[in-house]
Amino acid sequence: MTGSVVIRFEDVAFSFSRDRPLFEGLSLSLLQGAFYLIGGPSGSGKSTFLRLINRLEEPSAGTIRFKGRPLKDFPPPVLRRTVLFIQQTPTVVGGSVRENLSLPFSFRHNRGLVRPSDQELRARLDRFLPEGVQLEAPAEALSVGQLQRLCFVRGLLLAPEVLLLDEPTSALDERSARIVEEETERLCREAGMTVVMVSHRRFEPRMVEPIRVTLLNGQWSEGA
Amino acid sequence: MTAAVPDISLFQLVLGCVFILAAGAVSFLNGLGLERDLLVGGVRTFAQLFLLGYVLKFVFNAQDIRLVMAVFVFMILFAAWTIRARAREKQIGLFWPTFLSMLLSYWIISYLVSGVVVGATPWWRAQVFIPLGGMVIGNSMNAVAVSLERLLSDLRGRRREVEMMLCLGADYREASREILRNAMKAGMIPSINSMMAAGVVFIPGMMTGQILAGADPLTAIRYQIVVMLMIVGSTAIGALLVLMLVRRLCFGAAHQLLLRPKGG
Repeated sequence: MTGSVVIRFEDVAFSFSRDRPLFEGLSLSLLQGAFYLIGGPSGSGKSTFLRLINRLEEPSAGTIRFKGRPLKDFPPPVLRRTVLFIQQTPTVVGGSVRENLSLPFSFRHNRGLVRPSDQELRARLDRFLPEGVQLEAPAEALSVGQLQRLCFVRGLLLAPEVLLLDEPTSALDERSARIVEEETERLCREAGMTVVMVSHRRFEPRMVEPIRVTLLNGQWSEGA
Repeated sequence: MTAAVPDISLFQLVLGCVFILAAGAVSFLNGLGLERDLLVGGVRTFAQLFLLGYVLKFVFNAQDIRLVMAVFVFMILFAAWTIRARAREKQIGLFWPTFLSMLLSYWIISYLVSGVVVGATPWWRAQVFIPLGGMVIGNSMNAVAVSLERLLSDLRGRRREVEMMLCLGADYREASREILRNAMKAGMIPSINSMMAAGVVFIPGMMTGQILAGADPLTAIRYQIVVMLMIVGSTAIGALLVLMLVRRLCFGAAHQLLLRPKGG
């Protein structure tokens, strides 16, 4: 199921302020197709860790590689849609649900991708929002829980290889949280997507064997 | 045709101080606490304008291209410095991008208006180039400051939205397109408004001056039209250049937003 190294940190250092480094000499490998569950106290750098992988933050030292090549070798927009980060707080633009779902396809670097049909959007929405949300509905009228799932669907339309999830279920009730978690497990098992999920929720995946990780004092420890 | 400009004697000038004394009295009686600012403002007006008068007299007599250009560059330096002081931005260096884009765009506009539209010979003739350049700089400076403040505060305030688009494969231009547009609009609105209201709500200052100096109102309006168009043009070009340069500085090589929330 899991195979080669997909993401690799080599002696990575990062700090927001000069005197207080968040990471120093951080080295680790993430395996292709694995399901990582990251825990740790707040402020331990879980979000920053995800943001380093898609270059929303840049390390002050060291190298991060994707499939063996330094992240700098990829055009940032292409890297970001391949190694997709979904923000903790769902964010939409004004406009309908459809406009939000097709937003990524309006960007220059995504022009080569096939814009999904209404039918496809409908099918995706029904899976994640079974309560029935219209494509024409204004996105800003949705609840936070619905927005969180909408943003999830929007990201998946880009067919990423690695999925970076920052508390994807924080605004969801039990049932919606399970939908998102199961869908993520399924993507990992069936599509071979690598998943790196930061979550406070106690969550026992049923379809995949997760690799549990703790980030504490800038240290990465697996199997904790 | 041209009537003699009525001269203002020193005595009459002092009489003008009655106005500011009245304002000071109002402030004092109502406890507004503006007396000090009024005093400083009044003294500065006297000192700065007298100084300007002597400088202009000197520059007009010399008619030296180097001197004219030096005055022009100095005015822009001062404008860029004012804008930087107003924005109080600690993370991004605003001075050089502001200075360079204003220098380029205002120079081109002042050159075109002075040399081509007004037809001064030589194109840098001090009596034409410096007042026109001064009006361009003075009026556009506010627009640039307003748009810059808007750009920086929106990039900070709408960080999540910008990063959302970046995460979905936008480049930094796409992720900040709407913010740039809004900043540009915020800067342009005052000069567009003054075009709309020109001649109806107010008689523009430059025209007032020319008419007082005895010029034919029909000549005065021609100058005024050129000046207003020139101000709108330089505001648009100057603000856009500054915004594009500063926006680039707000993002890193990976198109990541570098601008951190204030105090964070």
